[in-house]
Order: sequence, then C-alpha cells, then structure tokens
Amino acid sequence: MDTVIVTGASRGLGRHCAMSLHERGYRVIGISRSVKGDTPYEIRSADVADSASLSKALGDLKRDKSVYALINAAGIASMNLVITTPAETVRKIINTNLVGTILACQLVAPAMIRRGSGRIINFSTLGVPLAIKGEAIYIASKAGVEGFSRAFAREMSPHGVTVNTVAPGPIDTALIEKVPRDKIDAVVSRQIIERQAEPSDVWNIVSLLLSAESSMISGETIHVGGA
Amino acid sequence: MPAGKEEVEKFICDEVAMLVGDANSQITPATPLIGANRAVDSADLVVLLLAVEDYARDNLGFQWDWTSDSAMSEARSVLRNIGSLADHLVSQRAA
Repeated sequence: MDTVIVTGASRGLGRHCAMSLHERGYRVIGISRSVKGDTPYEIRSADVADSASLSKALGDLKRDKSVYALINAAGIASMNLVITTPAETVRKIINTNLVGTILACQLVAPAMIRRGSGRIINFSTLGVPLAIKGEAIYIASKAGVEGFSRAFAREMSPHGVTVNTVAPGPIDTALIEKVPRDKIDAVVSRQIIERQAEPSDVWNIVSLLLSAESSMISGETIHVGGA
Repeated sequence: MPAGKEEVEKFICDEVAMLVGDANSQITPATPLIGANRAVDSADLVVLLLAVEDYARDNLGFQWDWTSDSAMSEARSVLRNIGSLADHLVSQRAA
C-alpha cells in the first residue's frame, strides 16, 4: 500500500486531500500542529516550520519505500498591508509556508529517491499571478514555494520524482474565513473561470498529479480556475 | 567487529563503480566525488550518500546525518574523494 504524507492534514485543503486519499486506499500520514478530533488516518503532531519537530515526526519514514507522495498543504495567511504587518507575523508566514515546505521536502525526498519514484505536490495561490492587494507577504511566501518547486523538480527528476505546485484561488476553508465576501468575489472575477473553486476541484488536480499518467508533468504550477 | 577504513573505502568504491557502471573498477580511494573531475554526477552523489547513510547505520553503528549543519559545512572537504569520505565516517564512528 502506497503511503502519502500530507502536511496541514487536520483542516482545509490538507484535510480534504487526506480524506480523499484515505477513501481511495492510500495509507495517509497527516502532519498537524495539534492532534485533535477523529480522523480515519494517522495524524502526527509537528510544526512544519520547526526542523527538529518535523524530523521527529517523519524520521522513521526516511527508508520507507512505501512512501509515494508528499502533499505540502500546511499554510497560514494574514491579510494585511505590508507596512502594518508585525515583523514576527512576516517571519511566521514565511517560515510556515516556504521554509516548512522546503523542510518537509528535505525529509521525505530520500525515501522517494530510494524507491526510485514519487510525487511531491506543493501549494501556492492564484494571488501570485493576480498580485492581490493586502496579501503581499502571503504571496511572497507562495512565490517562493513556486520557485523552489520548479528548481527542486530538476533536482528530483533523475530519481523519477515529479514536483509540482497547485495554486488555487479562494476556497471556503478556515484560511479565508475572515475575508469579506466582496473581496472573495473580486478575486474570483479575475480568474479565467469566474467560479469559486470547491475543495473537490483542487483534489481533482492533486489526483491527476498523483497518477501514473502525470509522469511527464514536473516543475509546473497549475492555477485552479486559471489566471 | 566494526568495519575499518579499508573496508569503508571498499564499500564506497564498489557503490561508485556500480553507479557509474564501471565493471573494471577504475575507482580508487583517490577518485574525486566533487569538482571538475568527479566520478559521479549530482544525482548519483545523492544516491551514494543515501547508501553511505545506510552503511554507517548497519556497519559502523551510528546515524550519519549528512544534512546536518556540521556535515554540510565540511562537505567540500569530506566529499573531496572517496578516501576523505571514508576518513570522515571512521572518525564519526569514533566520536
């Protein structure tokens, strides 16, 4: 049974992906800062921004050849103007979204190299191409994820591992629960497909990238809804 | 009895020979792992380091974390050639 590691697996898109994977028979190992509530898949507690914490949670998988994929869905946002965002918030966003993604890749990639195949799927945002006002720091962290993924894809290619990025627009999850409706509608109106995507739309793309048929797709960013 | 330096070198030489498909084994402890005349490309170097990590755990009795800050800061000298990597592993076992 193939194993898929999902960060941010206790809520939002991470939870949706983890549930969908579990339903399709994958062994899912979810990573979450806090372990609470019932999930039908294994959840391990770790802060993705903390290398020691993440290493403790994932260390035993380094030689596990059942590890097929890593989905880096852990992320935080703080919608604010740059000049009114505290420095600590800036660091927290970059550390969780960008550094956390890099650290998880570092820890899980050796298992895929040993296996000789694998899939890494990172998360960005439509905010990167749309340059949404009030999201500059969040967008900076996600633009970093896109650049990292593209270059890391080249590094992993000889080992049969693809690395791609999925970039959704606003999805109704906890991440944007405080964003006013009119702002969400304004972003959706700038998508090529002017419909707010559902978690299942994101899963459909994740599912494609996990499939054997996606073996020639790597280093790409797929914008959910188009930008 | 734990593996000695010669044994460690032999293991690394064999791994490199396998990675580069060198059946006649022109690979020696002096074979460079990095730099202009390196025997392996960067992808094979990663595979080699993973194999060495397993070897250190199974035969030298310690967990070699080549992604640690200290290992990486010395990486250029440690990976100079097969002999320097073997020296490093033997010294780490002793430490």
